[in-house]
Amino acid sequence: MTDGGSTVPDGGSESGNESATPSGESAVPDGEPLLSVDGVHSYYGDSHILEGVDLEVHEGEVVALIGRNGVGKTTTLRSILQLTPPREGSVTFRGEELVGLDTHEVAQRGVGWVPEERRIFAQLSVAENVRAAVPESEDVDAGLERAFDRFPDLRERRAADAGDLSGGQQQMLAVARGLVGGNDLLLVDEPSEGLAPMIVDAVAEALADAAREATILLVEQNLPLALDLADRFYVVDHGTVVDTGDADAVDADSERLRRYLSA
Amino acid sequence: MSTLATLPTLLFLDTLFEFLRPSTLAGVAVEGLSLAALYVMITAGLSLIFGLMGVLNFAHGAVTMLGAYLGGLVTVLLVGGATGDPVRFLAFFVATLVAFGALAALGGGMEIALVRPIYDRPPLYQILLTFGVTLILEELARIVLLFYGIQPISDWQDALATRPAVLGEGLGVAGVAVDGLELFQILFGILTVVGVWAFLTRTRYGLYVRAGSEDDEMLAALGVDVRQVFTVVFALGTGVAGAAGVLLAWDPSWAASVPLAAETLLPAFVVVIVGGLGTFRGTVAAALLVGVTDAIMKWWFQNYVEFTGLPEITVFLVLVIMLIVRPQGLYGVSEVGGH
Amino acid sequence: MSGADTGQPSDRTQTTEEILADDGTPWYSQYLRDHRVHVLTVLLLAAYPPVYAALAGSPVSGEAIALLPEVQTMVAVLYFGLFAMSFDFISGYTGYLSFGHAAFYGTGAYLTVLIANGKLVTTLPVVGTVLTPQTPFMLSLVLAGLAGAVLALLIGSVSFRLSGVYFAMITLGFSQVLYVFVRNWDFVSDAPRDGVAVTGRTTGFEIGVPAVDGLNVAVGVLLGDSVSLFGGAVELSATEVSFYAIGAVVLVSYLAMQRVVHSPFGRVMIAIRENEERARAIGYDTYRYKLGAFAISGFFAGVAGSLFAAFRQSVTPENGFYFLVAGDALLASIIGGFGTLVGPLYGRLFEESVQEFLSKSGSGGGLLPWLEANVPSSVLQAELFNGLTVAEAIDTFLNGHAELYVGVMFVLFVLYVPNGLLGTVRDRAGGTLAKAGIPALRRWFR
Repeated sequence: MTDGGSTVPDGGSESGNESATPSGESAVPDGEPLLSVDGVHSYYGDSHILEGVDLEVHEGEVVALIGRNGVGKTTTLRSILQLTPPREGSVTFRGEELVGLDTHEVAQRGVGWVPEERRIFAQLSVAENVRAAVPESEDVDAGLERAFDRFPDLRERRAADAGDLSGGQQQMLAVARGLVGGNDLLLVDEPSEGLAPMIVDAVAEALADAAREATILLVEQNLPLALDLADRFYVVDHGTVVDTGDADAVDADSERLRRYLSA
Repeated sequence: MSTLATLPTLLFLDTLFEFLRPSTLAGVAVEGLSLAALYVMITAGLSLIFGLMGVLNFAHGAVTMLGAYLGGLVTVLLVGGATGDPVRFLAFFVATLVAFGALAALGGGMEIALVRPIYDRPPLYQILLTFGVTLILEELARIVLLFYGIQPISDWQDALATRPAVLGEGLGVAGVAVDGLELFQILFGILTVVGVWAFLTRTRYGLYVRAGSEDDEMLAALGVDVRQVFTVVFALGTGVAGAAGVLLAWDPSWAASVPLAAETLLPAFVVVIVGGLGTFRGTVAAALLVGVTDAIMKWWFQNYVEFTGLPEITVFLVLVIMLIVRPQGLYGVSEVGGH
Repeated sequence: MSGADTGQPSDRTQTTEEILADDGTPWYSQYLRDHRVHVLTVLLLAAYPPVYAALAGSPVSGEAIALLPEVQTMVAVLYFGLFAMSFDFISGYTGYLSFGHAAFYGTGAYLTVLIANGKLVTTLPVVGTVLTPQTPFMLSLVLAGLAGAVLALLIGSVSFRLSGVYFAMITLGFSQVLYVFVRNWDFVSDAPRDGVAVTGRTTGFEIGVPAVDGLNVAVGVLLGDSVSLFGGAVELSATEVSFYAIGAVVLVSYLAMQRVVHSPFGRVMIAIRENEERARAIGYDTYRYKLGAFAISGFFAGVAGSLFAAFRQSVTPENGFYFLVAGDALLASIIGGFGTLVGPLYGRLFEESVQEFLSKSGSGGGLLPWLEANVPSSVLQAELFNGLTVAEAIDTFLNGHAELYVGVMFVLFVLYVPNGLLGTVRDRAGGTLAKAGIPALRRWFR
């Protein structure tokens, strides 16, 4: 494995972090991470998908997870959300262990999900899609209004069936839904998938906007987009993290990344 | 030769003209609507449960049957021979509330104790489980009925006798002769449809049910305790089935009896599948389709062909044809056989 | 099925390719390997009538009769067990739940009775008059099977376009159509609702080699042959003879189905159950395989129906075509174990034993007669509440209400023993009884 050779600021490194991650030149911020994933192993049936994933995300960051198809990026997000509960390892959010909780309990603690393929409720209206995300304790209408303030385009189409929206609009809706309820951590999965380049730009803007309010862990195959939005990145291969670094220290076509990313 | 050919044709045309007369059509239409109303009521709960949880609740028919007996019990207790019609209607109202409440409680308990543990298993096991529950419920009903000296297989006449006189009469409405009972059933069907629709579109829980029917994983990721929603929907679904049973206890062609469980279960399955997985709209449309077709077939098989068993087949033929022509049902959105 | 326990035997950990791979064992070696367990089981079953008779005449006769099913019930276990096995053949091995399976059973039964009543006499060119009441039963049996197979092909051709719940529902729909039809069709009898009975026969239906007199036995409780063997040393009643004759047919059928299950065809069936898309991607025309499997299961279901009609001499729409008949097969399969082929037979045995145990006296004995005979009457007459005595409580809640406990058992099995009795035993032993059972027993005894 290549190694920059420079020293690593001790900052957020957890003791006992025995993964194969080389110490890249990443400036991991100081202090306790918002989210910490340690030694997570997850399975689909008997398929061992995640073979020990370690990463951390600090408040205010945008961290990208990059890697080929099928290496376990989506599964990592699902494991954080307890949709695919890890069999081994731990996931801590604000110091609290998430493994063992129900998905809705994880979500209620401030973790939002913008999943692959968006998964908006096609038969519900735009407004209803957002409504479903507003926590019971909050005023539904206020929550709606705030979401529409952030994404005025959606306000115009509030009564339309969500299934009738274009891909880009659906993506905006998914992001809006993820932010509602004051979520502090947003798990975003392949937001640019299936969208035309111009729309991708709009989505990128929306995400950059969202990054001002929430911490983002972003899974993205579109490298330039990922590196543009992110502060730091982790490269995932074969179910574990194999590299990490600062996003601006790397080019999308650099040798370092290409070995893990060419199909 | 030509005479031999014309005779059947003449008979057919004659019957057709009879059928197309306004009074016949109106009568068949009303009967069709009343059947549709009954089908909506016995299916609504099943449809909600199937759409949200993917569980085909085999115990649904047994629940309807229990509702019929429970409701019948209430009316029998409250109504005497000389009781006037208005009081009888009131008794019916009380019976419906009691049946709804009791069966909703049963459904909720069933869901928590029996269905939850097997969420993650293939759908087969949920079908098997609810099938087992049906056996238990039906046999328990038989035990209790026999203990009190009521014949389980035959229609419960005492309950039928509590019906208001006006429902047994033919009424003239706009020149058409209709059954009072049919109008009553149509009324109840409309109330049920409106009630369920209002629940689905106007309440938070209804929103969760609609969203969860599409994607319950996503709903959980939005912070909603989907398991609780499941329980509530299961309870509601069985409650509605129980209330439907009360209505059936007053209809001589159904009536409270243990076989009522199977008699309502099979058409309910048909309506759910013909309507399309997970849509209430589909259930209503399918109930109308099946109800009206049933009424039309009944008329033709009473007045034209002598095969008395065929109206019962109608419901299944509709199912088979629909599954061949359009497997996802009238309004279904999911993939075929996706469950 | 990510993360889900499929509840099936050890096949679930294999990929589709592994399932399809031939382990190179020739089929006769397979039989020899399974032979030991098969022989043991057959011996145990064959010994049942004499053992039951012996126990019934012994000092523990009361207990024996109460606990053990009588031979007549065992005959029903055999032919319904065959039906349940045919159900498992399709539902347990391909994963396609055949809720309408009763259609084939009822068809086989009705066909047998109609032939015997002379309703299906036809005159064909060349061969002349066929399907007279004198048709040998063995021929009726085969025809019943073929009818089941053909019906399965027809129903399957439409139904296999769907899967899962939809397949189950459409087959249920077809079978209910047949149920209503047969219930109202006056061709079958004057009172079709009451079913059909065999009329005009003075001897039972004969199982064996049709032309050879000595190799034929008639079955049926009243019309069957009783047999005297070894110069009078062994006397078998008509019911016992029926047990052996029907048992022989069931055994042969089972061996045939087993042969298929352990063949390349059977491996494709399992591959379809585990991951049909993958099997299709590899290149198998799964539709054809499903149809073939369905036809085979329909054949044996028809055979089972025919045996049923031969023994009982009558069929009704309720015990032939009603969907609950398939429900009973389902019950037997869940108790015995899906995907084990023979499991459902054990499941039916278990269920019938419980039923008989809880039924009123005179039908093979039961709990109450035994209690009446053995528990002091002071206990039986003790009041529980409201004037209800213990005896009355037992009568109300137990006698004749076996369905309730079967239902409870069913629910418990689904929740806690999803692989059924045999399935769980196989899981614990690590393989089919043939492969792993004998070594496991050895270990246990060491």
